[in-house]
Amino acid sequence: MDERVVVIGGGPAGLSAAIAAGQLGAPVTVVEKLGYLGGRPIEEHYASLTPHLADAEEVMGGMVHDLEACADVEILLESEVVGVSEGDAPFTVSIRTPRGVVERTSPSVIVATGFQHFDPGRETQLYGYYEFPDVVALQDLEAMLKEGSVVRPSNGEAPKRICFVQCVGSRDRQIGNEYCSKVCCGVASKEATEVRMALPDSEVFIFYIDMRMYGYWESQIYWPAQEKHHVQYVKGIITEVLPKDGKLLVRGEDTTMGRPMEIPMDLVVLSVGMEPSPGTRRMAQMLGIEQNKYGFVEAKNPPLDTVSTSRDGVFAVGTALGPADLEDCASSGGLAAARAVARLGTRVGG
Amino acid sequence: MAKIAALKGGETLQNCYGCGKCVPVCPVDLVGEYGPRKIHRRVQTGLDLFKADELWMCTTCANCLRVCPKQVNMVEVMPAVREAAVAAGDIPEELQLVMEKTFRYGNALGENPRRRHAWTKNAGVPVRVLTNEPDPVDVLFYVEDYWSYHPRGQQAAQAFSRLMTRAGVDFAILGAEEKTIGDSQRLAGEKGLFEALMDDVVQVLGKYEFNRIVTPDPHGFNALVKEYPKYGHSYEVLHYTQLLAPLVDRLSLTKRVDARVTFHDPCYLGRHNGEYDAPRTLIQAIPGVELVEMGRCKGNSYCCGGGGGGMWLDGFNANHLSERLSERRVREAAETGAEILAVCCPYEVSRFEDAAKSTGNESLKVMDIAELLDLAIG
Repeated sequence: MDERVVVIGGGPAGLSAAIAAGQLGAPVTVVEKLGYLGGRPIEEHYASLTPHLADAEEVMGGMVHDLEACADVEILLESEVVGVSEGDAPFTVSIRTPRGVVERTSPSVIVATGFQHFDPGRETQLYGYYEFPDVVALQDLEAMLKEGSVVRPSNGEAPKRICFVQCVGSRDRQIGNEYCSKVCCGVASKEATEVRMALPDSEVFIFYIDMRMYGYWESQIYWPAQEKHHVQYVKGIITEVLPKDGKLLVRGEDTTMGRPMEIPMDLVVLSVGMEPSPGTRRMAQMLGIEQNKYGFVEAKNPPLDTVSTSRDGVFAVGTALGPADLEDCASSGGLAAARAVARLGTRVGG
Repeated sequence: MAKIAALKGGETLQNCYGCGKCVPVCPVDLVGEYGPRKIHRRVQTGLDLFKADELWMCTTCANCLRVCPKQVNMVEVMPAVREAAVAAGDIPEELQLVMEKTFRYGNALGENPRRRHAWTKNAGVPVRVLTNEPDPVDVLFYVEDYWSYHPRGQQAAQAFSRLMTRAGVDFAILGAEEKTIGDSQRLAGEKGLFEALMDDVVQVLGKYEFNRIVTPDPHGFNALVKEYPKYGHSYEVLHYTQLLAPLVDRLSLTKRVDARVTFHDPCYLGRHNGEYDAPRTLIQAIPGVELVEMGRCKGNSYCCGGGGGGMWLDGFNANHLSERLSERRVREAAETGAEILAVCCPYEVSRFEDAAKSTGNESLKVMDIAELLDLAIG
């Protein structure tokens, strides 16, 4: 029987898993609901990737190239997994493709269905994302950076003063997302750096609760943003955005000085966190794998087995498991590939 | 922030990431609302440091730099911003007066330059003045302002001359030709004045042959060791405690001085230049003396408030501080149970004596180490 590793999702983690499995010689099927591979970085028009500012299209294109170079790879675009057999592996996976439903047999299914950005309309602080055109989110600014034109959406003019507001939709019991989304400090700092490079006369602020720049991100992103690109980090979060004289008055507390702070801004960028994508929720349900209270797939044996789920033969990778950066996606993708390939009935790779 | 970062020396203020390690060790924050982190934050959110009173409160003691993970260097930032402020005419009046006196008379006290070596008369030993006797000499004793003119400083200068004579050191002074090195004026924002003084100092020094310069003033010492070489002027320079410490056996200190003594490390000898041992070696060589350390000592020594122009800003800063730094320090000294507070920076005797009076610690005697040693000479 032709057994294949089935990877659901063609973003950074899914591609990492598929490439690793393919390079090990395994037959691989990648199922992607969109008409192209690359995941969020492509779908949301990322200009560059954190932390090294590599061009997002180039990097993701390179991954697609690596995948296509593998011996037995099947890429199903505009396709969705619509059914998985009950009981033990191997599973029969039903996939709806533009050419109709196909079935694949797989001892190991890898869920790489990713995240979605937190909807800032749900933020209890009322930042006015849907009210003020000049309040945008990280991915909106990312798309502007890709276009090479950072402007105030309200009037098309270059902003002189820009701020990022951290932890939007993260670390909030009221909203229900108690976790830190892990990448927003780095991504905001990366974008702040890019804004400063694009608009050298601009002033850029980052208002934060805690600056979470673990490991090398400290010296790769945070320190250069501050020291080379003059991004102003201010500890204290914005709690109100008010329209004033054509600008946005951001108000908060300067927590370290214990006093109120009020600064007019031209552009406010909300550093929205991660939530499980609809695909992650749907696939988790269909596969019958445990999800945590936030809807992400629950890893069964953390911390050293980050990819096994509650169902034998089903693995999860990347942001399907929770907030993750690209390094995490590559790591979990690789681990899941190894586990998945080990379950194939025939030895692979000669 | 961008204006400050653009200044030579001002680059590092923006590097602060707000950890706050500097604030608890900032001597000014202990008696007021200060510290580099707070200055950084206030500049970020709109403070014009070039026009703020806070610009003048830093004593450049460098205790913040000692603990700063980002190496935010207020010892360079503050003088750079001050220099720009001074150029724009924004300088506290009392400091401006000192700058004028220094410019006009070559000393911060505005004293007559011809009276610079008047103290030698009562030294009890001959003190050669190179102007009159220009023969080569081993040690050029660079007396600096406060030992030349302040009555308590003069006593220390006299004592030090006796000690050098006792130790068989061949020494001489410049007399009326000496001008202040002006390092504190530099740190207070008058780099131009410092450089003009340096031209004069270097020219006078060039007239005479000597092996080493010895000075009691850690500020002048700091400039000779660290600043002069940047301009191509290098001398062998010792603080007076560094000259005496290896010679302590030659002093034959036989008279007992039965006292508990605590020692205040000058910022510019200790933290800035790493010398903590020489003064202690000397104090401990005195028979009968028990040296007790204050909680803040050596690398974490508290600042007397006199550095970086603070010597001349007590009135200006009084608006912002609950007490003078010297008062705070004297209380720390008194808490050790010491009878004598030993010092080895010419700024300190007068500062601490005033502070001892104002804090009700009159029983605490403030003495220069040279005076203490002089007492012990048999």
